[in-house]
This record gives sequence, C-alpha cells and structure tokens, in this order.
Amino acid sequence: MKKIALVALSLVLAAGAFAQALSGTFTWGGSTTVAPIAFAAIEQFQKDHPGVKISYEATGSGAGVTSLLKGAYSLAGSSAELSQAQKDGGAVATAIGLDGLSVVVNKNVKLANISKADLAKIYHGEITNWKQLGGADAQIVVINRDEASGTYASFYDIFLKSTYADKASAYTKDAVVTKENGEVAAKVTSTPDAIGYVGMAFADQVVKAGGRELMVDGVAPTIANVIAKKYAGSRALYLVTLGAPKAGSVEKAFVDFLLSAKGQALVKASDYIPLPKK
Amino acid sequence: MKRRMAALFEGGAEALLLFCAFLSVLAVVFITFFVFRSGLPLFRHSSLVEFLFSTDWSPTAEAPHYGVLSFIAGSFYVTILALLIAVPVGLASAVFLTELASGRMARTVRTAIELLAGIPSVVYGLFGIALVTSLTRTFFGGTGYSLLSASLVLAIMTLPTIINVSEVSLRAVPRELKEASLALGATHWQTIVRVLVPAARSGIMAGVILGMGRAIGETMAVLMVGGNAPIMPKGLTEKVRTLTMNIITDMSYATGDHRTALFATGIVLFVFILGLNLAVQFILKRSVSDVGGSAHA
Repeated sequence: MKKIALVALSLVLAAGAFAQALSGTFTWGGSTTVAPIAFAAIEQFQKDHPGVKISYEATGSGAGVTSLLKGAYSLAGSSAELSQAQKDGGAVATAIGLDGLSVVVNKNVKLANISKADLAKIYHGEITNWKQLGGADAQIVVINRDEASGTYASFYDIFLKSTYADKASAYTKDAVVTKENGEVAAKVTSTPDAIGYVGMAFADQVVKAGGRELMVDGVAPTIANVIAKKYAGSRALYLVTLGAPKAGSVEKAFVDFLLSAKGQALVKASDYIPLPKK
Repeated sequence: MKRRMAALFEGGAEALLLFCAFLSVLAVVFITFFVFRSGLPLFRHSSLVEFLFSTDWSPTAEAPHYGVLSFIAGSFYVTILALLIAVPVGLASAVFLTELASGRMARTVRTAIELLAGIPSVVYGLFGIALVTSLTRTFFGGTGYSLLSASLVLAIMTLPTIINVSEVSLRAVPRELKEASLALGATHWQTIVRVLVPAARSGIMAGVILGMGRAIGETMAVLMVGGNAPIMPKGLTEKVRTLTMNIITDMSYATGDHRTALFATGIVLFVFILGLNLAVQFILKRSVSDVGGSAHA
C-alpha cells in the first residue's frame, strides 16, 4: 500500500513538472517588417519548446495591434510606435530591434541621394517627374503601402508629418497601393521609374535584385548611421502585448528570448539591427 | 407493420433531402440579411447619394468621406473590357469545338480549357505580375499595373465559363435546323453564322452574363495587377481599384464607420451580382422556349 502511494505521489510530482513546461497553440501577427525576425525566432523557439506551436500572420502593424486588442492574437509585431488610442486600449510595446526605413528605387533611376523635402514632395504628389530632380524625363511611379502598415505610419511620422498635418491627405492617391514590404520590393525591382520605402531587410532584397537604395540628405542607411541616429529613417521594431508580458507565459518567454543574445543574433541575421547595448 | 416502417422511412428520407436543399436557400437568406444589416447603418449619417456618386474615398481623414464611384467605375470598366476580349475568343472557341474540330484536337483543347478553369485566382495574379504587366508596359506604356493588365488577366479567367456554356448551347440546337440549312444549299460557315449561333444566342448570352458575374467578383488577381489606387481611372494604362479590391485592402484594419462603409461596398457588389443572376435566369427561361419554338416554326 505504501509503495503504491509513493509511486502515485512521484507520478503526480512528475506530471506537475511537465505542466510547468510551455505548451499550447498560439496565433500571433502584425507587422510585415518584423515578420522575418518573427519567423526565424519562432522556428528557434519551437525547437527549444517542443510543446509550443506558433503561427505569425503578416497582416500589417495596424491590423496586428487591432487584432491583439480584440483578443484574436496574443502577441503582435509593430514597426510603428503605438498610437495614444492603442495605448489606451491596453497595448504595451517592447522594443526588440532597430530598423533603418530605406528608400529604394528601380535600377533605371540614376539618383543616388534624395533630400527629405524632395521625398516628401514625391509622396505628396508635388513632384511627379524624375527630371524635376535631375533625372530622366519619366513619370515617377510611386509605390505606397496600405493604411494597416506600420511602415506607412513610420514613413509619415519621419518624412511627411512636419509639412503635411493630416495623414490621409499627406500621401498622394495616385500611387500603387501594396499590402506588404515584400510586395513593395517586388514591384520596385520590376517596374522602371519606381520608388518605394521598405524595412532594411527588404532593401537588401531590392539591391540584390538590381535595384538601388538611396541616401537621405547625404546619409546612407548603414547600421552605424542608424544606431547613431544620423540616418533620418531610424526607427525601432516592437513586440506588442496586452498589458505587460505576464511572467510564466509563452509571450514573456518569447520576448525574453528575442532580447537575449541568441535572439538579438537572429535580429542581426534577418538583416535588421540589434538593440544597442546599454 | 413492415409497410408502416417503410412509409416512415420514405417520409424521413424525403424530409432530410428537403432540408438539405433548403440549406442553400437558408445560406442566401443569411448572407443577404447579414451583409445588409452590417452595411446599411452607414446611411444613418452618411448620404446614399454621396456614397454612390462621389469619387472621394478618404475614410481615415479628419473629415471622412466615403464615395465609391471610382470603384464602381473601376469594376465596370475592368469587366466590360475583359468581356470585350473574352466573348469573341470564347464564342469562336465554342464554335470550333462543336463544329470544326476533329476528335483529338477537340480533346486537347477541352483539356486545356478545363485546366484553365481550375487554376486558382492567386496563381493568375502571379502570372499577371510575371508576364502581363511587362507586356502592357512594353506595348502600351505606363507602369504595367493598370486597367488593361487587370482586364487581360480577367479575360483569360472568364474564358472557360464562356466557352463551356456556349458549347452546351450550340450543342442544344436541334439537328433539324442544321440539316435544313445545309439541305437548302448553305455552306457550313453560313450555317454556323446565320443559323446555329443565332439559335443558341440566349444560352450564349447567359454564359456571357455568368462570365460577367465572375469578373465582377474577382478579387485576388486584379489586386495583384490593377495598381490599387483609389482614384477614377482615366485611361487604359491608369491604375484602377475595383469594389472587391477596396474591401480587401482596408478590411484588416478598418474600424467604426470605415468598416461599415466596406460592408456597404459589399452591398453594392451584392446588388450588382443579384441583378446579373436574375438576368441570367430570365434569359435562360426565354432560351428554352425560343429553341423549342423555332424548331417547330
């Protein structure tokens, strides 16, 4: 009798120990800029915690945080700072890396540098021909993102807000609207006279495919310039949770993983910039 | 006792089948009800006239405007242009398949058409990006992401529908008509053009309208090659946004009135497609009496 009780007790304790391990199925989503980091980190995280299954849907930062606040996602990726409305709804952002919002052009555009003012004018629709900037006589093909995008929001905050107060009317309507960074990269590479803005990881894609990354105000979007905040398009990338990440939850473990040395190495491997060491 | 059991079983089986058939009716009723219920609240404080006739779509501005005229025009232009390309080609293919093709040739063409019908629309979009946009850019100028590219891709997508229905209608024309025409001395071509196609015109019309319905409802392929700019397209090489593209672009993040406006866009789409389907049913009803009538004229 005593032996049976001992075996039963040890089994219960063992079961308790297994219950401590992380497990479950999770749906996360949001920024297409953060997506490369998220996918790489989720793959590694799932290897480290076999009971966990995570999927990340790249629908755009705005859509991601909206779904987080509704309860459809338990973690969201955002490439834009949280708006006041989102913070009031309970969203809390944790920075996990840095990005240099890059301006890319098709290979037939012979420009190397652009000023902040000219970039704003192109995206507002005031400058419509490359010859106005010293290039060939060709209509500029403006490639924009949809309004769910954090990159759309960051681009507005960095380049357009100072001149054009209303976000909706700041951007020209005569632009090709795309739904993710990858689509911008593909369209810029394949359409002559095109200009677009993407996260750093995607800018590398464009350059490899023959396109060009522009300097802004003479500053190139290199890692050093972004960390030193010399490059105008410097911004942070965030993971967003509903309230601060709860201790013991998969979300907290994932955020901690990304902030650890292994996670930051993954950020670097995804062509973004790890957080500067304090 | 056995007879009572058999009767009960019969009754039960019939009731089950009736219920299954009724599920389709139920589905249509629910879809109509919920789409209208989600979209109509927009018109409590937004004018219906402004919604249908204004080209100003700025849902996230300080003073939001919901005007979908550009998108109605976009859907309309893209569909009409696609049909202008697909109907002659489709009708010619149907005539070829029924009247002129030998066994092996007909089999090959039919296999190709069936394959075309099975390709998912996102793959059509990829094909559009890979080939169609560069073609339109080279031959017509512009960016390649345009009304013309979207129409070309849609034309290929609606070909199988038009060919299949036209073929069925042409085959349904009574043999006596063809034999009478040939007996009177008409050539094969004259018979086709002046007897067979006119006799099958109601069915062909129904096929065209079915194709129109598919074209208006297409979302993915046009999203990838249309350019998606919320403005009125002023030419073949201009960017276009259709009603379906508008819904899918904004739906993931829209809240409040913006979201209701998207459902209202769905209502407009729904009304168009409902109208088209009623037209098909009316024309099909007429075609049955037409062919039957003319055969005995």
